[in-house]
Amino acid sequence: MEFFSNLLLAFAVAFTPDNLFFCFLGVLIGTLVGVLPGLGPVATISLLLPSTFQITPVSALIMLAGIFYGAMYGGSTTSILVNIPGEAASVVTCLDGYQMARQGRAGPALGISAFGSFIAGTLSVIAIMLIAPPLANMALKFGPPEYFTLMFLGLTVLTYLASGSMIKALMMASLGIFLGTIGTDTISGLERFTYHSYTLMDGLGLVPVIMGLFGISEVLLNIDVQAAKRDIYETKLSNLFPNRDDWRISIFPILRGSLIGFFLGILPGGGAVIASFGAYAVEKRISRHPEKFGTGTIEGVASPESANNAASQGAFIPLLTLGIPANVVMAILLGALLIHGIKPGPLLMKQNPDVFWGVIGSMYIGNVMLLILNLPLIGLWVKILKIPYPILFPLILLFCLIGCYSLNNNVVEIMIMILFGIVGFLMKKFEYEGAPLILAFVLSPLMENALRQSLIMSHGSFSIFFTRPIAVTFFLVALFLLISPQIPGFKKRPKGGDIV
Amino acid sequence: MKKYDQITSLVWLAFAVYVLIESSCLPLGSWRDPGAGFLPLGSGLCLGILSMVNYLQARFRKEDDVRGSWHSPDRWKSLLVILAVLFGYSLFLDFLGFLVSTFIFLFLLFRLVEPQKWAVAVGGSFLASIVSYMVFEIWLKTQLPRGIFGF
Repeated sequence: MEFFSNLLLAFAVAFTPDNLFFCFLGVLIGTLVGVLPGLGPVATISLLLPSTFQITPVSALIMLAGIFYGAMYGGSTTSILVNIPGEAASVVTCLDGYQMARQGRAGPALGISAFGSFIAGTLSVIAIMLIAPPLANMALKFGPPEYFTLMFLGLTVLTYLASGSMIKALMMASLGIFLGTIGTDTISGLERFTYHSYTLMDGLGLVPVIMGLFGISEVLLNIDVQAAKRDIYETKLSNLFPNRDDWRISIFPILRGSLIGFFLGILPGGGAVIASFGAYAVEKRISRHPEKFGTGTIEGVASPESANNAASQGAFIPLLTLGIPANVVMAILLGALLIHGIKPGPLLMKQNPDVFWGVIGSMYIGNVMLLILNLPLIGLWVKILKIPYPILFPLILLFCLIGCYSLNNNVVEIMIMILFGIVGFLMKKFEYEGAPLILAFVLSPLMENALRQSLIMSHGSFSIFFTRPIAVTFFLVALFLLISPQIPGFKKRPKGGDIV
Repeated sequence: MKKYDQITSLVWLAFAVYVLIESSCLPLGSWRDPGAGFLPLGSGLCLGILSMVNYLQARFRKEDDVRGSWHSPDRWKSLLVILAVLFGYSLFLDFLGFLVSTFIFLFLLFRLVEPQKWAVAVGGSFLASIVSYMVFEIWLKTQLPRGIFGF
């Protein structure tokens, strides 16, 4: 009964004209940035974050969430037609999607990717509705030690799954924690690393840091590596609906991809990229014809596309029920909610049911919108793909500048953004990942509070983290992940490239 | 990458030392009641130790993938131009106002990085400035700087 009353509330909020409009705007922008290589959902959400401060928190979150899962849909278009993934979660779609396009089957590849994403998105929304309430109830039993160890675990998982060196990822997490401490200490009121700058007294802004690390640096990187001329596969896109045979082959990969994606999305540190690689690897392993993968098999498109969409929606569970972001996009959304005065966590469902259920309801509507948007508008996305980068990049930079300035009408924040743009560019060049830095930066104040409260509770004894069952479990899992690369015979998880 | 890993590790180590020195000037408190310097000191310590581990790993790494320069020599100037234009924009935005500085900013990027035709550069800059002004100032009610010209 509670399920249906929640469902009713979800749709009542999501179907208001304002929220419908922002949901549409979000998925439209999401698809657009998914299509455009070099501008991913992280950069776009950070670019648009300041403009959401003028609207209600529920509309803001609906729009930002729409950008995230919309990008997953859009990313497949470039993977299939151009062999360039619009965003990282669609890398694996290139393998079979582009081969299908070369064989004149771009239509069914795009079609199954859109339908697979829709089915996965729909199943994920239902799963969120079933899983989130009991999880939030359980989280009500969490105290500061449990929260601290959970955040520690989230950071550890993210560094463990880092695509490059784990040491480098841990370095970036340490740097992120330090950057999060800049500003006025909330407990003692003392200024830390501000050097009497008014801008720094409130701490480093989330928007300038993210826009710099992901927006400006991406442009600099694209300019530095002159993009190869895009070879858009000119094929007639009239037959977008997969035939009966395509459906027969794809339906189980779609369901398996949805399941894998959803659970990898929930995992702190997991996400759409890992989910898409994982789903592809599973399909290849259980297939009777694994040798055909990479030559244009439709299940090689259906499974990862379903998985990345399911993961992008599953990632909302830890954010909305525990207040813990599972990946960098969720970290930005956490920042957005905090700026709007809403604290995500177990009490969100009780204190702001409109935000919680409104976002969930909007995801379902967003999935329908995306299905309608993607199939007939593919021709338009292909045209947009042809916009030359030298015309596009000044506009992206302008967007960063306006977004950053409009936050506090402060040019110092623009300079901070540019500075982080340079740092982000160098980090990418020398293979230091930005995701652990941002997650640690967002979690740093929350972790510091939880740590200090825990130590005050235990009169200075660290045993509080080892005597409470939930806290010690989180801590032991984190510790295992940290030392596991050193255990002989226990190798770090295979990289995306290895799976494929 | 080996050489670059060693150099960047030393840069991070130097930064960690700075964090340690600065945070030791803040009250560290006690285990019962950690002070404002507790977490910065801890994060600086972690960064420093990890930098040293990274340096040593790179130092004793046998194999090394051979890579060229870490930047593209012919694109280097473009990056400097973009950064100079970006810093210039942040310096002159309040003085010149949004419309004028945005027009100049876009025009310079269109012309200096990968030169577009004059018509594209002037027309594109003008159109993008006006559209962004209308969207942000008029529609979203963002307060953009007016500068000496009053717009």
